[in-house]
Amino acid sequence: MSGWRGPLLVMLLTAAIGGAGAVIATPRVIMGVAIDRLSSVNGLNRMSHGDLATPENQPVVRPSPDLAYSACSYDLSKGPLRITVMPVPGRYSSLSIFDGRTDVIFVRNDVQARAQPYRVIVALPGQTVPPGSDVVRTEEYKGIALIRLLLTAPSELPKLEAQRKKSTCTMI
Amino acid sequence: MKPWLRYAIAIILGLTLGIGGAWLLTSRGLSGGQIVNVPWQTSLGYGVKATDPLTRAAVARGGLLALPATETVYWQATTDSAGRGLTGKCRYRLTGGAIDARWWSVTVYDTKGFLMPNAARIWSVNGANVPLDANARWAVSLSSQRPEQGGWLPTTAGKPFHLTLRVYNPGKAFMDAPTRAALPRIEREDCA
Repeated sequence: MSGWRGPLLVMLLTAAIGGAGAVIATPRVIMGVAIDRLSSVNGLNRMSHGDLATPENQPVVRPSPDLAYSACSYDLSKGPLRITVMPVPGRYSSLSIFDGRTDVIFVRNDVQARAQPYRVIVALPGQTVPPGSDVVRTEEYKGIALIRLLLTAPSELPKLEAQRKKSTCTMI
Repeated sequence: MKPWLRYAIAIILGLTLGIGGAWLLTSRGLSGGQIVNVPWQTSLGYGVKATDPLTRAAVARGGLLALPATETVYWQATTDSAGRGLTGKCRYRLTGGAIDARWWSVTVYDTKGFLMPNAARIWSVNGANVPLDANARWAVSLSSQRPEQGGWLPTTAGKPFHLTLRVYNPGKAFMDAPTRAALPRIEREDCA
């Protein structure tokens, strides 16, 4: 039995390290899959205005069927990103920016924006941005910018489509 | 048994235990939060840098791209108000009143957090489309069969489900005491 003492310790150590490693790696792995999946439609650094979530259309887990999502998977390795948001007057919308670890690095809703269009620059430390810009600095190269727009009914989407497509994201 | 074989077995078992344990611990979706308002649970730590690694991993698996609590509070119910697991075998009455927020919704998901097909193509009720009575209260039937009258939130016959309550731009009173906030009740009526 004494011959198992060492292996037993190794097993416990491996379990602890493997468990901690899996917990820490999970957000980054899942975010990587989501970035790839979302960018497969429109490419990186471009805003994709998705259809409403249904059982047949669920790019990510737990989508809200009441929201129209516009998503931009980004990669800052070649330069900063400019996001332009056009709120729809009188209804909830928000821009949220998630880094590669799933943390929110920026969020602004339509009330905070006073229902006015706004621009946000996402940049790595040291990247040059236009003077006077509203800048979000991040050390993560990749992430997802997501615009949520509340609908009172799915039938509203066609008439709001033109307005929501004015929201864009592009490399500077 | 040769020593190297014992160590190889130990490493395989250790990794299996560690990764399996991590998988189980992060399977709670949005229901493992520290804030409980029966039958709803949440955390105010979703999406923020200061959150703990377990919560971050659980949210990545069960609610990727969740907003921080200042913007939206995500409550999850896996049981009715009496603590019994939610199942499409039963019919429930979901009732509530005004919620201290700009907007709210209740959505039905399967246990992995995905919308389930239903012929009516209804997956949620929200503060904008639920009819209020004279006392500003609302009620919908949570069931696989359409009720003869009243609002309806369809479930899938025989399948377990979870509910997610989204509370957008919650008010100060709500954020100060989320455990005492007035949230919808889920009462089981009968089962097949």
